[in-house]
Amino acid sequence: MTDVLNSELLKLRSVRSTTYVLLAIAASLLAGALISYLMTADWDTSPPDLRQKFGAADPGVMVVPFGQFCLGVLGALAITSEYGSGMIRTALVSVPRRKAYLLAKTLVVAGVSLVVALVTSFLAYQAGELITGDRPRPISAYDSLGDAVPTLSANTASLVLLALVGLGLGFLLRSTAGALVTLCGLLFVLPALTLLLPHPWNDRAYSVMLPTLAPQLSGELPDAPLSPLGAGLVMLAYLVLALGAGATALLRRDA
Amino acid sequence: MIQVRQLTKRYRTTRAVDGLSFEVEPGYVAGFLGPNGAGKSTTMRAILGLDRPTSGEALVDGRRYADIRRPMHHVGALLDAGAVHGGRSAYDHLRVLARSNGIKDARVVATLEQVGLAGVASRRVGSLSLGMKQRLGVAAALLGDPGVLLFDEPVNGLDPEGIRWIRHLMRDLAREGRTVLVSSHLMSEMALTADRVIVIGRGKLILEASMRDLQEKFKKDVLVRSPSPDALLAVLGAAGATARSEDGALSVQGLDAPGIADLASHHRIPIHELTPRSASLEDAYLELTEESVEYRTKETVR
Repeated sequence: MTDVLNSELLKLRSVRSTTYVLLAIAASLLAGALISYLMTADWDTSPPDLRQKFGAADPGVMVVPFGQFCLGVLGALAITSEYGSGMIRTALVSVPRRKAYLLAKTLVVAGVSLVVALVTSFLAYQAGELITGDRPRPISAYDSLGDAVPTLSANTASLVLLALVGLGLGFLLRSTAGALVTLCGLLFVLPALTLLLPHPWNDRAYSVMLPTLAPQLSGELPDAPLSPLGAGLVMLAYLVLALGAGATALLRRDA
Repeated sequence: MIQVRQLTKRYRTTRAVDGLSFEVEPGYVAGFLGPNGAGKSTTMRAILGLDRPTSGEALVDGRRYADIRRPMHHVGALLDAGAVHGGRSAYDHLRVLARSNGIKDARVVATLEQVGLAGVASRRVGSLSLGMKQRLGVAAALLGDPGVLLFDEPVNGLDPEGIRWIRHLMRDLAREGRTVLVSSHLMSEMALTADRVIVIGRGKLILEASMRDLQEKFKKDVLVRSPSPDALLAVLGAAGATARSEDGALSVQGLDAPGIADLASHHRIPIHELTPRSASLEDAYLELTEESVEYRTKETVR
């Protein structure tokens, strides 16, 4: 098993797409920091009554949705690039035990995305704190690191979840285009569509959409339809569904 | 040793492989022949556990391939040289495969040298020529120093020097006591490489024989030239052979050249020429697979 893990880690490291995805996340961090900086500069020149209406100048607000998509792409590419090129046949000849193959890929994608998610979340937090300095809430998102921990952990969890949903979709659909379109649908299209449903189904459906789960998991969202536990269970359901479907496709279908 | 027993693989309506059985033992190159679509690749994919057989089984050294731990140490396979991620360097591609089976990087370097790719090790696989990719595929098959080797159409895309190289490689591997199965749709190629042939058509076994037996089986006739053909014709008929005239000579079947010579000398009939003729292997192969060619042009020129 260690052999297969080593091999999968090297696979991820030795392709350029991984570098590009990480660069894209770094770029989103810079962009998020820039927006925070501009917001803070605006706040500084605003009269006190207007200042109260400002949102938090937290780069994470922009970095997390973008990072979710990027890691989803990373997860999907980890397997669809093999189906696209035919490498999957070479790979399954060297590792014919498909369960071990799936497990190794899942662990490597989970591990790599966990590291990336932790670093990204923390850098976004740190950048926000540096930019807002000792300004009060609401322009400063957090009073202290301890105050930020629930949000940062929830964001990290959602980032890892998206990477694994991407991987599951990749195993299921075996096509880069198919996996990415589905990912876009789940992240961007479906949430908007749920809002068109009649009340109260719009709120209920919207609350289980992938992008809305992290704030509910952190428990920091006022009047959230789902409790942190509920949000966690929904996230788990996404994980089981995506990886389960992917595993079934790998184990049942010919390669 | 490779054992295929009553292997059947059905895709929806078509039977790609239909009750196929054969064995390949160590020490010789086995040619796996058949027209396009005969089921060669499907059989190889079934041996390697990529396709699940509808019924029957394919075993390598008595085990199902999927049950072998670190299979690259037992079986090396070249299925499709293009089936690699083009973005990785040749070295990284082999390292990825090597690591999954606990093979050291030093062995990767040695194998790259063995196949003559040491100079392009750092180039991306996508930028390699078809022939170089073929060599890379061979390198991947040899990484674990396996006792069983499967090559699917290995000479495709190779230049003459490359073809000669792979021919020698396969013969050397067999001489070292390994089991070597090579598929091809070209009899002319197999005639130079294989010691035994397994011919299939429409997923069924047509013939399994040594190259020598195949040549023997398709030995056609003996061409005999004599100044007194009528007398010869009479004694040949009496001896049970059939003969018909051909360009002022006789084409004799049912008696071999020494037999004809002895018979003629016994009856004091002079003989000017005596030529045993065998059908070329190419002809033999076409004759064998005639019934089972799946895709062909309307009028086949033979």
